[in-house]
Amino acid sequence: MTVFLQNLVNALQWGSFYALIAIGYSMVYSILMLFNFAHGDVFMTGAYIGCGIALLLVGLGSAGILVLPGWLVLVLTLLLAMVVTACLGMFIERVGYRPLRDAPRASAAITGLMIGIILETGNLILLGAQRVKFPALIQPVTYELGGVFVTNQKIMIVIVALGLALALHQFIRRTRWGMAMRAMAFDYAVVPLMGVPINRIAALTFALGSGLAAAAGILFGMAYPVLDPYMGIVFGWKSFVAAILGGRGSILGATLAGFLLGFIEIFVAMVFPSTLRDFIAYSIILLILVFRPYGLFGEPYSVRLRL
Amino acid sequence: MKNVRFFAVLFAVLCLAALPAAGQKTPVLKIGINAEITGDIPKVGEATKYAAQMYVEDVNKAGGIEVGGKKYRLELAIEDNEAKAESAAKAATKLITVDEVIAIVGPQASKQAVPAGEVCNNYKTPMISGWSTNPNTTKDRPYVFRACFLDDFQGPALSIFASQEYKFTKAAVLYDVASDYPKGIAEFFKKDWEKRNGPGSVVAYESFTTKDTDFSSQLTKIINSGADFLFTPQYYNEVPLIVQQAKQLGWKKPILGSDSWASDELVKLCGKDCFGHFFVSHYASAGAKGATKEFIDRYKAKYGSIPDDVAALTWDAIGLIGAAIRNAGKLTGDIKKDREAVRNALAKTKDYPGITGTISFPPGSGDPIKCANIVKINDKGEFEFYKSVCP
Amino acid sequence: MNRRNGGTDGGIRARAAARLTRGIPLLAWLLGALLAAILESWFGRELADLLDLPRVPVLFGFEYALNKPQLIPATLAFLLLVYGVPLVLGARLLRAPANAIARALADRAPAVSVLVHLALVYAVLHLWTDLSDYRLIVVKITLIAVMLTLSLNVVNGYMGEFSCSHPGFMALGAYAGSLVTIVGFTKSQMFGPPLLPPALGPYLFPLALVIGGAVAAVGALAVAIPSFRTRGDYLAIISLAFTFIVKSLIENLEAVGGPRGLRGQPDWANLPVVFACTVLCVGVINQFVRSIYGLALNAVRDNEMAAEAMTINTRRTKMIAFLFAAFWAGVAGVLFAHVLRYVNPGTFGLQQLAEVLAMMYFGGLNSVVGSIVGAVSINLVSEMLRPLEIWKWVFIPLLLILVMIFRPTGLIAFREFDPLALVRPRDGGGGRGTPRGEGR
Repeated sequence: MTVFLQNLVNALQWGSFYALIAIGYSMVYSILMLFNFAHGDVFMTGAYIGCGIALLLVGLGSAGILVLPGWLVLVLTLLLAMVVTACLGMFIERVGYRPLRDAPRASAAITGLMIGIILETGNLILLGAQRVKFPALIQPVTYELGGVFVTNQKIMIVIVALGLALALHQFIRRTRWGMAMRAMAFDYAVVPLMGVPINRIAALTFALGSGLAAAAGILFGMAYPVLDPYMGIVFGWKSFVAAILGGRGSILGATLAGFLLGFIEIFVAMVFPSTLRDFIAYSIILLILVFRPYGLFGEPYSVRLRL
Repeated sequence: MKNVRFFAVLFAVLCLAALPAAGQKTPVLKIGINAEITGDIPKVGEATKYAAQMYVEDVNKAGGIEVGGKKYRLELAIEDNEAKAESAAKAATKLITVDEVIAIVGPQASKQAVPAGEVCNNYKTPMISGWSTNPNTTKDRPYVFRACFLDDFQGPALSIFASQEYKFTKAAVLYDVASDYPKGIAEFFKKDWEKRNGPGSVVAYESFTTKDTDFSSQLTKIINSGADFLFTPQYYNEVPLIVQQAKQLGWKKPILGSDSWASDELVKLCGKDCFGHFFVSHYASAGAKGATKEFIDRYKAKYGSIPDDVAALTWDAIGLIGAAIRNAGKLTGDIKKDREAVRNALAKTKDYPGITGTISFPPGSGDPIKCANIVKINDKGEFEFYKSVCP
Repeated sequence: MNRRNGGTDGGIRARAAARLTRGIPLLAWLLGALLAAILESWFGRELADLLDLPRVPVLFGFEYALNKPQLIPATLAFLLLVYGVPLVLGARLLRAPANAIARALADRAPAVSVLVHLALVYAVLHLWTDLSDYRLIVVKITLIAVMLTLSLNVVNGYMGEFSCSHPGFMALGAYAGSLVTIVGFTKSQMFGPPLLPPALGPYLFPLALVIGGAVAAVGALAVAIPSFRTRGDYLAIISLAFTFIVKSLIENLEAVGGPRGLRGQPDWANLPVVFACTVLCVGVINQFVRSIYGLALNAVRDNEMAAEAMTINTRRTKMIAFLFAAFWAGVAGVLFAHVLRYVNPGTFGLQQLAEVLAMMYFGGLNSVVGSIVGAVSINLVSEMLRPLEIWKWVFIPLLLILVMIFRPTGLIAFREFDPLALVRPRDGGGGRGTPRGEGR
């Protein structure tokens, strides 16, 4: 039982990252009908940006110029990095996706892949092959609750991830911008005719998605403090699986599917020999899709491929 | 026929322009570097490049390499294999047939080194990989060598150390199943450990996949298995994650590692959590003496970081080639004959004083005989020599 | 020709170029290329010495242009002398006889005409790669990439789905084919003595290719059955999951070497074999997409409901196309394994996937020529830019992004490829097969 609980805690943390990244994928996918394959690398860039800001703030603190408590540094890092990465996301949308909005969707997928490669290589050129350590902003404290080990980091990561997902959900449900986004997801062709500014909505979508990716990057840096330029690739593709598994146009679906993917990966490794983890985990996902072909929360829809 | 005149003029201009492009002829020997500069493991390529460049600068500063009474300048031909198998084969072919190198250093990772070794062996060009531990790299290939020790020595060396030094009886192993290097060591370790402590004495044998960053479910299993220590033959960028997560999950026992831990980045990334753990190394940077210390100091001064195992092994690999060129007797200028001569000299290498130990190649094999050092990460975060294990 | 813009400078050049190339059939171009290749193999070295080049430029001199700029003029001179002049002059001088031959062949036996052209292409490639083994391996890998890209185009272009399973198919083919040749015909430590006399091997290599392809096609069933129940983007993740699963499975199969990979494939994938396979692949896929199945496939892509209403069995059509594409990806995998003589599951991961996708969309959707152009250009460019080292991976993505922005469907998209039209004479009239655009 403790083993199960321990793994449950672990899976919650692991799923948080998938969830945050998958939300960004899912938003772009449902509103613009694009696969944003640069998203994994936006996550990576967000982590690096966050690391830079955190190092700067910590440096200022140790130089005695601006002494801040650790938690405030973290909050500031999180906010600043989200803003910067959101700008990066809007820039990517402007350069790589807007010119292709009426092109076949796959072309945009390719520009996304290529922007991702440029982000990776640019990082390698700028910072060298050295890996970067994310500064420990909060001293890790381990609590033992009946044989289950929980750290303050894990609790914080899960809370922040869930909080951000919930905030976004509220934004989309309750604001006019959110309504415009939902409308776009409902009918891409007609809604712009109603006076909804498609360019601004698209930019907003990318900004929100990238901001969440940056948050995921920083949380990731807290939990696994080794950053390298290629860390976004596998995360990106797996979150892509989670995004589609969640169902089209559903923030809730993407969040849950992200957590589900985390749970499957962790629990498969717990029950079966861990060498077979990917094999079994993705076979399970295949099975889920056989029975729910439109994803967990997706409605049947017909894609009019714009070929 | 205006266009004909245009082409004729263009052509004449080009021919004229081509004439002054002559250079002076000094005898040059080219050594190929086939390294993972981009792709998954850029750090490996960088270290390879740096160490090789430093070696070549040294040799050329001393006036070049002397063979049979004649001095040659060394030159590097560096190719990036993008950490891809087919690119490594292409790069090796290019180095051999286009750049006409006398010998090749790298690729370092086995995924690239095995196909590149095939190419080098077919073209009868000596190749030496610093880092590749896959037996396939050198097996049945007289022209392919390596500078590191093999898994079947390193795994048992650790098993001997752990059972004799600490009288441990229950081991746990955590390794990357998708990467042949950790997997190889893990398997040899397990075999040797069970031979010593009876079947079932490896109480947890857990794995993950390359690029994973969360090991919590594996570590949870390991912690519940009651093992005396954890052996994790992972790379230095993964070790901090494993060690820190283990600590957070309540693990307090020792952790042992393999030569892939040896990088000053390990301590930079891991901090205090890694202090007190042991690993096998080709060399220990703290308290190093003689040539090893000199190498470490100069590398640090030049590139700003303590050389990792890749840099040290590359240094030895290219040093072995340099020694073989010196011992080749006489170079004819016919690249095929010269490669043959260098290969023969390389195969006869005996007691080469490398910075990662004394290296000899047994007859008919490209796998060196050398000792392993057990290194402890001390309380200052330095790699301190602890014990030596020889085959 | 175009007389209206004759006054401008660009017009003069365009007109000159047009006059220079007007009425030249493909046959004459190929003969010109053959001439260039012969010249290079006979006099290339001497000419390089004369121009003070260290050696014959291997891939059009890019290694000099980027590393030693002082050699650029000499390199250009070399290229012009060895490639440019013989190609243009040869093509122009042989225009009349080539046209006559092309007409005679096209009128009597169009198939023979195609074969003659292919033989010429092979001769050029053979001579060109004979000079340098580096060219040889580049050409082999490029041809394999053509097969992969083309087979991906059947799914992603003609069928209009987004499939990510090509690395998986390739891995299945590579391992199955390697097992056949290693177990069957070679002595290996892993599998012991050969089951069949090794002398038979090269003749039975096609069998290994077919088995590799068939295994990949069987694997494709695992993707096709769940994903073609619905329309949508579920193929994308099912196929992605498939790639993860195949890689993980091979890593866990100790019998085929696990992550250490499988070594010792016999050296049977030489240039003629790879070339023949590629030609066969291009030919068969081209026939397929121009057949009734191909048209049905396009109908399914454009409107599945309407296609269903037109009595197309949409599910069967998609299945056939998918298995067909997987088969060729498997064959390409077998060749890949035998060119490198080593396979490793790590090769068939996300990087491979990104590459194939990039080549396919760069070349152009729904187009056989596009896929060939995409695979060849990306492979060659990435080889030629080797001297740029890491900057190569900034330059190539930028190039691809620009192409995508200015030609969103790829370089040559939605173009039907008619080999008979390609080989027809160019001096007006005669010959069967007329160009038949399919533009939308």
